[in-house]
Amino acid sequence: MQHIEFDTKWTMVVDIDKCTGCGACMVSCQAENNIAPMEQGSNKLKTLTWLLVYELNNGKDFPNREVAYLPRPCMQCGHPACVPVCPVVATTKDEEGGIVSQIYPRCIGCRYCMAACPYHARYFGWLDPVWPGGMDKALSPTTSTRPRGVVEKCNFCHSRLLNARERARNEGMDPNKLPDGWYKPACLEGCPTGAISFGDSKNPEHKVHELIKDPNAFRILESIGMEPQVYYISRRDWVREQSDNHLAEDKH
Amino acid sequence: MGIDRRTFIQLVTGGVVGSLFTPVIWKSLDDASIWSQNWSWIPRLKYGAITEQASLSKFGASPCAEIVKSVGGSPYLTKGNGENEMSKGGVDPISASGPQLMYSPSRINGPMKKVGDGKYESISWEDAEKMLSEKLAAVKGQKGKLAVVSGDNTGTTSEVLSGFATEMGSSDCYLMPSEEQGAAVALSSMGGKGQIGYDLDNADLVLFVGADAMDSWGPVVRNQRVYSESRPTGGEITTKYFYAGSFLNNTAAASDKWIPIVPGTGAIFCLGLAFHLLKSGASASVSDFDDFKTLVMSRFTPDKVEKAIGVTGADMAAIAKQLSSASAPVVVAGSEFGAGAGAADVIAASAVNMLLGRINEKGGMKILPNLPKAVESAIDRSELAAKDFAGYLAGIAAGKVATPDVMMVYAANPVYSLPQTEAMASALAKVPFLVSFSTFMDETASTADLIMPNPTSYECFEDAQTPYGVGAAMLSACAPVTEPMYNSKATVDVILSVASGMGIDLGYESAELLFQAKAEKAGADWDSLIEGAAFVSDSTESGSIKFAASVLSKAVSMPKGGEIAFAPYSKLINGSSTMAIPPLNVVLVSKNELYGKDLLVQVNAKTAKKLGKSEGAKVKLSGAGGECVARIHINEGVMNDVIAAPLGFGHTAWDVYSSGKGDNISKILTVSTESGTGLSVWTSSFVSIA
Repeated sequence: MQHIEFDTKWTMVVDIDKCTGCGACMVSCQAENNIAPMEQGSNKLKTLTWLLVYELNNGKDFPNREVAYLPRPCMQCGHPACVPVCPVVATTKDEEGGIVSQIYPRCIGCRYCMAACPYHARYFGWLDPVWPGGMDKALSPTTSTRPRGVVEKCNFCHSRLLNARERARNEGMDPNKLPDGWYKPACLEGCPTGAISFGDSKNPEHKVHELIKDPNAFRILESIGMEPQVYYISRRDWVREQSDNHLAEDKH
Repeated sequence: MGIDRRTFIQLVTGGVVGSLFTPVIWKSLDDASIWSQNWSWIPRLKYGAITEQASLSKFGASPCAEIVKSVGGSPYLTKGNGENEMSKGGVDPISASGPQLMYSPSRINGPMKKVGDGKYESISWEDAEKMLSEKLAAVKGQKGKLAVVSGDNTGTTSEVLSGFATEMGSSDCYLMPSEEQGAAVALSSMGGKGQIGYDLDNADLVLFVGADAMDSWGPVVRNQRVYSESRPTGGEITTKYFYAGSFLNNTAAASDKWIPIVPGTGAIFCLGLAFHLLKSGASASVSDFDDFKTLVMSRFTPDKVEKAIGVTGADMAAIAKQLSSASAPVVVAGSEFGAGAGAADVIAASAVNMLLGRINEKGGMKILPNLPKAVESAIDRSELAAKDFAGYLAGIAAGKVATPDVMMVYAANPVYSLPQTEAMASALAKVPFLVSFSTFMDETASTADLIMPNPTSYECFEDAQTPYGVGAAMLSACAPVTEPMYNSKATVDVILSVASGMGIDLGYESAELLFQAKAEKAGADWDSLIEGAAFVSDSTESGSIKFAASVLSKAVSMPKGGEIAFAPYSKLINGSSTMAIPPLNVVLVSKNELYGKDLLVQVNAKTAKKLGKSEGAKVKLSGAGGECVARIHINEGVMNDVIAAPLGFGHTAWDVYSSGKGDNISKILTVSTESGTGLSVWTSSFVSIA
């Protein structure tokens, strides 16, 4: 399986205990990445949301029920399962920083990558994207629009990385050593509780460098070895246990 | 030489292998993929200079200070404005799609007059203002003939409307029901003046009673930011959060402790805590302390409280102990869905704060001054907030109050969002001339006789003063980010123009001058405000407040029990009382709240068993005001004998993104009158299920 290490590792850390499930991150993501609105949202197999907030619960009956919210972007895996299965090389992980790219015009819509992704982070455009009225006038200049029939996914708002690098070059700095906070995905900017942290986990000057070492930090389905670049933090045992598909009858 | 089988296979194999090494096939596949996606109708992106400008979003339930990003002058994205204290750098899920909402299919393109049932004709602004002026001239100086209601509690536009109503001789100017209403009546009952606020920033223990601070109570985004600051990722928690309510909503989910209590019993819960505080020696030097103590010690004993709300005496004592041992605790009461809780809950929570010595203290409950009025004839803000629009309309519906000849509705949707919706809508239908100053074609605009579209806050000057719940008096403002998209006109400008034509001088010639004057009177710098900073005052009202024991004595009664209590809840994902589900929010709606066109309501397994209903069962919910159809979803985050249901569905107007989805549960909310204050309340509603 492909595994390339880069000097920079763009990493997202989500504090589950701070997420209130408000959904502002999902809306910001759609606005930034030109995801067209859908008339019906109930069929979750066909809705298109690069970032999805899952509702978790501890499985206990009232009054011992607890709920947590887990925002799930693309995990930008270190060993991405989606990359080797793509017959047309529409998805790769070959740029400094380790973001898994998705080249829409090259995608033939075979959806092998969706079948391979254990995080369900890839989305197929089942429907024609339609921006009603004049809503296409509010399209973001950062992300190309996609027709139906291709697979889409979160790319950590990659265009913002390009902008940050350009800014660094203009200011005479190394574009591959961006200061903390120069590159922020839209979901982070939209999150009102500051549950999302982002940066280069290999750079000791970035906050996430320490956060991923937090004793309560974990990655989802860590045991299958995808090496995601998205970490979560929760003080709650049951949240951490569910992250690896832990079953009640399993031994710890 | 003939071609034998071996030669044939060699040729075919050679051809296949050869084709794999030629780029022609791969290039053709790549090109075919590109060509097949290169459809003419796919919108092209707009390029140009990317700029950022501070603005104010009034799409959500509370004003949100934002930075709007534009490309070539066209807004396309918002982010929080960290420099503004009003929302401290966050955005809510409605405001996050503000630029897209500017182009919503529900936008009203220009002024329209009704020409038949549901039929409208576009007219010019000149004709629209003339039509309105004629109707207003006919009622000028006649009491009870003109009514005004505003859905914008914080804008100076509401001052203009109330000043205009006063000058017209009308005393019927209202705000739409909100949390602020109960708080205003509570403060008045306690002998205070100004506005209640909470300094959550400096508290170390926050107990929300009913108040869904993360989704519908107060300045939601600011609440979330303050909550977040007290628990840095990877760091130590500095403020504990407790939530007492009947449903495991977003506030309960984020809190350190969820205390389930029966819907509409926040006052009983608070007075139950007061019992333990009083028992441990807490007191306050207030004139009616003895009356209050007698009331609590006789009527809110642990056994009675446990029977009423389901929390044991031991648990209540433990919570009271945690409050009294915290260094900066504060108790915040409110409704679980942003309106209808009445005053008793706030008075009872204030009583606990008083016993804890937390009034006007750092991190406690604050009594904030109202900012000076910009329009002299306007009703005082606290007085306006306390007025009871639901009660007024219920009076019209019942024939006890005379129907006004003209009603002006600004930034509000009473046809959809009031309790006992159908009765309220029938009262509005009685009004001979209904005018809607709305940005969107909502249910109220769809029935109005005259529609005068108001631009969004990105297209005009706007301001917001001290949203209910913040811990300090403050003011924010914004200048237009872009030219108006449609033929809309700021309601302030319409009213100033109409008033001027009728010989009424409200003191200003334009919205911009009005908002500037408001800033000047408040002591704020106008230029700083429109650049994104908020003016914040650190002053509080002097003078003490009392317990209002006589009001509590009448207003708080123990529930009878034995019925299925109804617990509506509000989520900004599903819109607000003024906004339907925004287009970008459709995919966020939970499958446990809406499936296809069916609304889902939630009960726990024990209640479902008691009702004989299983997951997905279709039910009809009946309340005093009407009926709703829904499906059952089993959720263990709901109390026993409680049915929780989401607000925000069942729109009949708006657009394909929100119309015809689910049912409007406001229909089955029951309006009753709070004894002691006379305020209309609807948090204690019961339903029957068939």
